[in-house]
Amino acid sequence: MTDGAAIAGLGMTELGKVYGRSPRRLAADAVRLAAADAGLALSDLDGLLVSHGLGGSPGIELAGALGLRDLRLLSQMNAFGATAGAMVAHAATAVLSGQATAVACVFADAPLRPRQPSGAAYDRGAREYHGYGGMTAALGFRSVNAFYALAARRHMERYGTTSEQFGAVAVATRRWAAMNPLAQLRDPITLDDHQNSRWVAEPLHLLDCCLVSNGAIAVVVTGADRARDLARPPVHLWGWGQGHPGHRQERGSEFGLTTGATISGPIAMKMAGITPGDVDVCQLYDCYTYTVLVSLEDYGFCAKGEGGAFAASGALGPGGALSTNTGGGQLSGYYMWGMTPLSEAVIQARGEAGERQVPARDVVLVSGNGGILDHHSTLILSPHPRT
Amino acid sequence: MDIGTLRRDGRTDPFFDGAADDRLVIRRCADCDRWHAPDATGCPECGGDRLEWAAADGRAELVTWAVLHGRPGPDGTAPEPALLALVELAEGPWLQARLDGVAPAGLRAGLPLRAAFGHPEEGELHLLFRPAG
Ligand SMILES: [Zn+2]
Repeated sequence: MTDGAAIAGLGMTELGKVYGRSPRRLAADAVRLAAADAGLALSDLDGLLVSHGLGGSPGIELAGALGLRDLRLLSQMNAFGATAGAMVAHAATAVLSGQATAVACVFADAPLRPRQPSGAAYDRGAREYHGYGGMTAALGFRSVNAFYALAARRHMERYGTTSEQFGAVAVATRRWAAMNPLAQLRDPITLDDHQNSRWVAEPLHLLDCCLVSNGAIAVVVTGADRARDLARPPVHLWGWGQGHPGHRQERGSEFGLTTGATISGPIAMKMAGITPGDVDVCQLYDCYTYTVLVSLEDYGFCAKGEGGAFAASGALGPGGALSTNTGGGQLSGYYMWGMTPLSEAVIQARGEAGERQVPARDVVLVSGNGGILDHHSTLILSPHPRT
Repeated sequence: MDIGTLRRDGRTDPFFDGAADDRLVIRRCADCDRWHAPDATGCPECGGDRLEWAAADGRAELVTWAVLHGRPGPDGTAPEPALLALVELAEGPWLQARLDGVAPAGLRAGLPLRAAFGHPEEGELHLLFRPAG
């Protein structure tokens, strides 16, 4: 038994236009890197959790590909964009209950192909459609962009949120990305650049939408006592939670207005013994700029409906009141589902973020978001043991 | 934006029969009378699975909308954008449809709408909503 759980290792492959490696190969590379980062041999791992991905999951066959033997924990998990947080929570629970001692959690994806526009990677087109569900798909309800545009518009109609406020998120995130050598988009942008970028699905401009990336990221979770003896500064897991609101498509639905963070946030913060005011750094799942605004509200960093004004105040960028998505997030950094915010959280908590390192990093909040705001996970991390 | 060709699937045919008759036919729970979208497979309200087909009144109001733009081609031209909407039927369920006969600038949450159907040259009809009155 152990007094807590911690992230002891982080492994990241090359991210972005990385071709010629399957998701399983990428995942294997990331697990090797994460174990080596922790100062562990692969044979020290006794647990492996593998995330679902859109471009084909590495599968639990990854264990065989890595030559891992006598594992005590092995599963593929899927809560869409909330999976990374769910995997880490599962790994921590296993470590705390003595089921396993060193668990690797990995996400890998390779939706990008050479000479194909990035948006096409997640687009499933067809010429003939069948039945009522086929009809709605044919009408355009098959694009994730369209559903997030519907959600964002509802928030705008209800609370007066504006496209310029979405733009404030994009601009702040890019300012962070400019200081991250791993970020795919590092050239500064202005609010005008955001407003002039082409429409993807109104009210969402191109600069409201995340990147598409190939690559893999893994972390290794161990007991806190063991992590202290390993190669890198431990990143302690103070709290975690999930939320799956199950918005129905009918009268009274909160679709577009709230996320599962209304459930997972209080659970994780209670476990960690903190309130929103204690959070120094936020790493929020930013599939779209709008997702950041609505998540900030649901975590209680501002009142419901005031996420837009909060972002427009400059709070999120370098030097702001609540440093958010300090690696450039998924909008400008790299798109590895929930591993994007988690990896940057580990880097910041370790104090290894270089030029973009935030001075206060005692409490780091990490969110994961999946589906159309249907699934949410929260992690609370710290460089300090939970007292 | 081009819609493609719609075919029946054997499970939701009454919707297309209704559409051909200019009626909006959706599902209603035989156990609790709650109305659902045509592709519902069970009633989330009462857990029942006896969903009947029934004609909705066709009145709705706009919940939210999006203008979906196609990717520009190599020559810089893009297909005509599609005006997508979530609408709330008078009976309660939300449906996904295109909007017709209204410009995006004229839209607001709560706008009264009425169901209509698009008639392509080939294949089944598709669902539209137009401003009421
Ligand atoms: Zn029922």
